[in-house]
Amino acid sequence: MSNAASSWDVLARAAATREAAASETRALRELLVFSIDGAPYALPIERIREIVRPRALTPVPHVPSAVLGVISLRGEILQVLDTRRRLGLAAVASARASRVIVLNGEDGRVTGLLVDAVHEVLRVEESALLPPTNADGGLITGLAPRGAGFVSLISPEQLVELDASAA
Amino acid sequence: MARRLKQTATRSRGEREFLSEAEEILERMRDDLGVCLERASSGDEFAPDVLNRLFRSAHSLKGLSGMFGLEVLAELAHKVEDLLDAWRLGRSQPTPERFALLEESVALFGRALEQLAAGAIATEFAAAVAELNGRIDAARSAPPVAPPAAQDVLDAPAALLRTLTEYEEHRLRESLARGRGIYVITVAFALASFEERLSEISSALREVGELLSTLPSPGAGGPGEIRFALLAATELDAAALAARLELEPSAVHAARAPRASANTPAAAAAVSEPTPSNAPPQANASPADASVAAPREPAPAADAATLRSVSDTVRVDIRKLDELMNLVGELAIERGALSAFARKLAGDPASVRLGAELEKIHKALDRKLQELQASVIDVRMVPLRQVFDKLARVAKRLRLDLHKDARLELAGADTELDKLIVEELVDPLMHIVRNAFDHALETPEERAAAGKPSEGVIRIEATQRGNDVVITVADDGRGIDTERVRAKAVERGLIAAAAQLSQRELLDLVFAPGLSTRGEVTETSGRGVGMDVVRSNVAALGGLAAIESRLGAGTTVTLTLPITLAIIQALIVGVGAERYAIPLNSVREVLIADPASLQRSGSRELFALRGDALPVLRLRDEFGVTSGAAAAKPFAVILGLGDARLALLVDRLDGQRDAVIKPMQGPISSVRGIAGATELGEQSAVLVLDIAALVTSAQRAEAA
Repeated sequence: MSNAASSWDVLARAAATREAAASETRALRELLVFSIDGAPYALPIERIREIVRPRALTPVPHVPSAVLGVISLRGEILQVLDTRRRLGLAAVASARASRVIVLNGEDGRVTGLLVDAVHEVLRVEESALLPPTNADGGLITGLAPRGAGFVSLISPEQLVELDASAA
Repeated sequence: MARRLKQTATRSRGEREFLSEAEEILERMRDDLGVCLERASSGDEFAPDVLNRLFRSAHSLKGLSGMFGLEVLAELAHKVEDLLDAWRLGRSQPTPERFALLEESVALFGRALEQLAAGAIATEFAAAVAELNGRIDAARSAPPVAPPAAQDVLDAPAALLRTLTEYEEHRLRESLARGRGIYVITVAFALASFEERLSEISSALREVGELLSTLPSPGAGGPGEIRFALLAATELDAAALAARLELEPSAVHAARAPRASANTPAAAAAVSEPTPSNAPPQANASPADASVAAPREPAPAADAATLRSVSDTVRVDIRKLDELMNLVGELAIERGALSAFARKLAGDPASVRLGAELEKIHKALDRKLQELQASVIDVRMVPLRQVFDKLARVAKRLRLDLHKDARLELAGADTELDKLIVEELVDPLMHIVRNAFDHALETPEERAAAGKPSEGVIRIEATQRGNDVVITVADDGRGIDTERVRAKAVERGLIAAAAQLSQRELLDLVFAPGLSTRGEVTETSGRGVGMDVVRSNVAALGGLAAIESRLGAGTTVTLTLPITLAIIQALIVGVGAERYAIPLNSVREVLIADPASLQRSGSRELFALRGDALPVLRLRDEFGVTSGAAAAKPFAVILGLGDARLALLVDRLDGQRDAVIKPMQGPISSVRGIAGATELGEQSAVLVLDIAALVTSAQRAEAA
């Protein structure tokens, strides 16, 4: 505002504005990075409830093949999806899957996602996100820079949107 | 159940409580207004007990609204209370215009609650209340009626008459004016049991007339006895009254004999349809009532007893009970683990004694746990009365709207069901009753032509059968024309034109989506939502909907429901590597299926059971299980739901367990044949079979 302001003031104000902007426009995205077949993917961290080790899966009849079955998690029963299959990847005979990501649904229902490995939480500026390279059935909504490469951003809504008739 | 999970507490607890309580009071007022209206239209006097209840309801509403700072509503309730007070004390007479004001007030209050539930009360609401208040004031300032004849015609102790309240005096004059006999009944009861005895005699008096006042009476009672003088009005004579009350004739003193021309024998009251108004306010009555009624006038002892039971009641959020239920369920699961551990210990020679001891402890724990479970389930039980009351009200409205002369008969209102099931039953039952009024019952002219009494009857009856409750809704209307159903079904492409269907299968088509049996769409029954929704709602509760009908004679819809959803006893069966849980209440028996009793019949398989042929469902095939080899001699689990039966073939039986049915969360909201899942203690989920769906699908396969 005036020249009288010390450089400290200016810095502090700048930091405050940036923080406010970040929280207001959510310019900063926090993503949970996991991998399938060695390729990194990410989901928004605010939709993840917890990450658990795989446990006994109970198969369910008459459901699309992307639903592997149900697990019991502290008395709650949740469906577990084959994330690999949802991404259109070929099924692998020896599943290397090591974690189940528990996703909070918009309607309060939770879903388990079977993945190979869970890595880190990645912070990305919204402005740094790239659009997806091609149409993946709407499942991948963007790419985020990670190291020398990219991580594919998955839409949680699309991921759990199953066509019930596609058994 | 998933719906419950979604309920979020957006409103504050206080608001929720206010809304639920105010809604309850308003419901009761609507009921009572309906009763008043009915009596008024048949020329009877206003029932004093109903007026009193209305007055108390208004008073409760006033207090409740004030407590939550809703001044506008408190003011409205206050005006209504004043108006009712004037009527019950005989200071003014209820006229149709004034009565309409009352109805308007209740409707206005209802709208306010709706607005409040949606957010906040609209600002223009205050103006509407002020305007209505003005009109109520105007109505109340009308000149009071002259008090009728004095009491010196009575042969009763002056001391007794002096103690009467203004209200009691008004009722006494009213009874005199109507030529009823006035009696002073003197009774003496042991101090230890007088409340009970007094309440018995009071309710007996109410059945034959009116109890005007109950006063403790001085005088020679035995030691440890208490004497009462009851002032009552009835059309019975002294001897008949004494006989009715099972008292010595000397205990009944006629202060004034009834006028000879007393019209109807009062005993007729006992055979009239059970109106909700006669029901004592039970657990659902608001506790506010207690604080209102008590200080007003010396309440008759029977009322006092009721009030006491009301104040003993605690309101509990059903979600808290769910939590409790879940905990009990999980405790039961832990118990299972303990039992397994005890057996393991007992199996090892080194620890066989410890194992036996642990098993003993486990047994004791198990017994207590079962008691705990039973009492938690018991807490969740509510009588169907709540639903029946709603139905009675709907029926009243429909009768007026549709110009159909019909009577709703209710039986078994005390049958108890899990609170959650009762709530989910309201819509299906409402729909069935609407259908009966709208479609099933003929117009009075049609009925006359068919040689039926002009008044139609819809009878709803609830009975408990083991672990199920069976609710039937029967009408004596035109019945369902199955040929029309067939034509409709063919037209809609539900069945092939050449399909060979039995009478029963044709009737079952009524439950198919998109089939309405009458051509025209009416406002009452609407469109699109039909019996298919009834069936799916009932199936979601683990129940079964069935229909029977005879052309020209009537239709009966039968709903079979489990008593509770919370914890079930389950039979665990095995197929290949998989295990499934079957609710035990639908298991009729279990047999080893001798290959000789299994027989092919075209594309289907039959199981011969004592001369009966049951449809067979092999769970392995139904669920596409590939693991393991099918047992050579499978077990046949005979499932029954309502009248339908099915032989379910499984490889193994894995014993009987307690199970808490949980919804399967995730993208797939419902799976054919699966009601949910449960955990059986080894951190693994076991699917619970949806027996209604399996039985229905087997029947359909039969029909196909």
